[in-house]
Amino acid sequence: MRRYAAAVIAFVSSVRPPERVASLQTRLLIAASLVLLAFLGLTGLSLERAFRNSTLAAIQERLQAQVYLLLGAAELDQEGRFTLPEELPEARFSTPGSGLYAQVVDRSGKVLWRSPSLLGKVLPSWPAPPALGKTRFVIAAPAGTTPVFVLGFTVNWEISTNQYRRYTFYVAQSQQPFQEQISSFRQHLWGWLLVPALLLLLVQGLILRWSLKPLRQVAQQLKAIEAGEQTELSGPYPRELLPLTDNLNALLHRSQRHLERYRQALGNLAHSLKTPLAVLRNALEQPTPTAELRDILRQQVDGMNQTVAYQLQRAAAAGPLALAKPLALEPVARRVMASLAKVYADRSLRFEVQVEPALVIHGDEGDFMEILGNLGDNACKWSRSRVILRAYGAATPSGRMTILDMEDDGPGIPTGQVPVILSRGGRIDPSVAGHGIGLAVVRDLVEEVYRGTLEIGSSPAGGARVRVCLPS
Amino acid sequence: MRVLIVEDEAPLRAQLAACLRQQGYAVDEAEDGQVGLYAGQEYAIDVAVVDLGLPQLSGMQVIQHWRAAGRRFPILILTARGRWQDKVAGLEAGADDYLVKPFELEELLARLRALLRRAEGWTRSVIRCEPVMLDLSAQRVTVNGDAVELTSYEYRLLEYLMLHAGQVISKTELTEHLYEEDFDRDSNVLEVLVGRIRRKLDPTQTLNPIETLRGRGYCFRLQRSPA
Repeated sequence: MRRYAAAVIAFVSSVRPPERVASLQTRLLIAASLVLLAFLGLTGLSLERAFRNSTLAAIQERLQAQVYLLLGAAELDQEGRFTLPEELPEARFSTPGSGLYAQVVDRSGKVLWRSPSLLGKVLPSWPAPPALGKTRFVIAAPAGTTPVFVLGFTVNWEISTNQYRRYTFYVAQSQQPFQEQISSFRQHLWGWLLVPALLLLLVQGLILRWSLKPLRQVAQQLKAIEAGEQTELSGPYPRELLPLTDNLNALLHRSQRHLERYRQALGNLAHSLKTPLAVLRNALEQPTPTAELRDILRQQVDGMNQTVAYQLQRAAAAGPLALAKPLALEPVARRVMASLAKVYADRSLRFEVQVEPALVIHGDEGDFMEILGNLGDNACKWSRSRVILRAYGAATPSGRMTILDMEDDGPGIPTGQVPVILSRGGRIDPSVAGHGIGLAVVRDLVEEVYRGTLEIGSSPAGGARVRVCLPS
Repeated sequence: MRVLIVEDEAPLRAQLAACLRQQGYAVDEAEDGQVGLYAGQEYAIDVAVVDLGLPQLSGMQVIQHWRAAGRRFPILILTARGRWQDKVAGLEAGADDYLVKPFELEELLARLRALLRRAEGWTRSVIRCEPVMLDLSAQRVTVNGDAVELTSYEYRLLEYLMLHAGQVISKTELTEHLYEEDFDRDSNVLEVLVGRIRRKLDPTQTLNPIETLRGRGYCFRLQRSPA
């Protein structure tokens, strides 16, 4: 039992390539974490970008409002010079270094007015004046100067009828508060994203552990089977794993049955060889006349030969194969019949093979060659001119069956003789060659290994018909 | 008839060879697949007995090589494995019959006789050309129902000619198929044997069953009876 379980486990683990491979859990965890990180990263980046854009828009709007305020406060004195009052509408224009600055230039670029806040400040060069009625918003941050946002706005003032003067108002604001706002937002954002990310990873790890639990259970149970504590995988298992566990169980059962058959065959062999050996030894030890010794020898050797052949063929049966692909019966039948036709070439027998082309069987090719070969061989020995093999599926009260009929047109088998020919070494006519174990082997294969039935009757062709019924 | 035995078990090979020689066959022995393959390709083999479990080259491969090389002589396989799967595989590889070990020598001889006559198109074990009947199983010859007493050598020669009735058989072919390598090919043993067979089959010299074709060989000229 242990050896077979070990074989099954070796079979299962042989699916894995020889080099070390990351566990399923690790793989899933890595993949899911990467996806999660990418998702959260992109989310963070786009949130940051959106925040930055809306802040910039707000700043631009505020600077525009300051321009309008200055515009409203500006006037021309008696000499027609551009002036702004001492008391400005925005106090920050008056406070030096407040971070809010303004300047007004005329058409030629001559500075007409600078806000008191600009006192002692070096600001980057002001951008070129925008076209009439247009605003220009610039983020200026040349090296060595205070980075600022600058908004320029050009207007035409009508001094008298049809006489205009063009002024450009510049308002600048230090970028420092903006940068502070952005970086504080960034800190908060990533902090808030990191916490759910870690939480999600944790949850995901737990989910994976939970989902993979049945697989770990399979591995544990296989270990238990190897250790001989268990004979099969016991569920319940999730639907996705059922094909695996069912097939493994089928494989295990098959190995068990195999082993039992081997053991039985060995036991039987030992048992049935020792008797003739004892007879031979006794014959040797006693002064037996040569002729008698020869008779004893022949008898016992024949018996041992039959025993060996029968038990070995029985043990060699593979049995129903749950895992193998279904076996198409027709090619097997044709090959066996072609072989028989070759062996019995002299007899000019007609072989009729009528097998449903779609007929499949869950079994071993060797077993079915054995069944068909032995039945066919038997039919050939007795037939006069025809050997007929029919195979078809049929619905019976006990479910769907596959039926194999091997028929001949020989003398047939009298009902009373049936048990004789089904027994090991039973031959109705000893002059027909053969070990006489063919039908007994077929019966064992059909009844014990494939759980079917074997029935001997008469054929419409005139001879015997051996019918094998197998559950589909 | 010349038989090639390819069998690695020396005692079994010796038994088979002795039994076949006693029956009047010329026997070639090979102890493994390589030697067997060579013998089957080089010698005028009439039938081969091949064990499937051979060292060097398996019996199955030997058979496949022979068949691929166009060698058509019948082949009987010996196998310890009695499964039909093995039998079918052997027959599909090109063998003509099988025998599962252990077997009785009588059974082997019967199978060989059957293969030899089948190869020449005879379907029964009693072959007949006009009044001459030759029973391959009993190794008995009758003319018009009267038994003819032949020595083992005479019988083998007549059997070969009758199995190939209607064909011209050269002296070389006869010596190759009837005698082993050490046979003295220049002797006139064949002429002597043919002369004796003629006298025994046809004491009155009315039938003239065996024709001598000068420089070409012999021909059993009586018509084959339909099987």
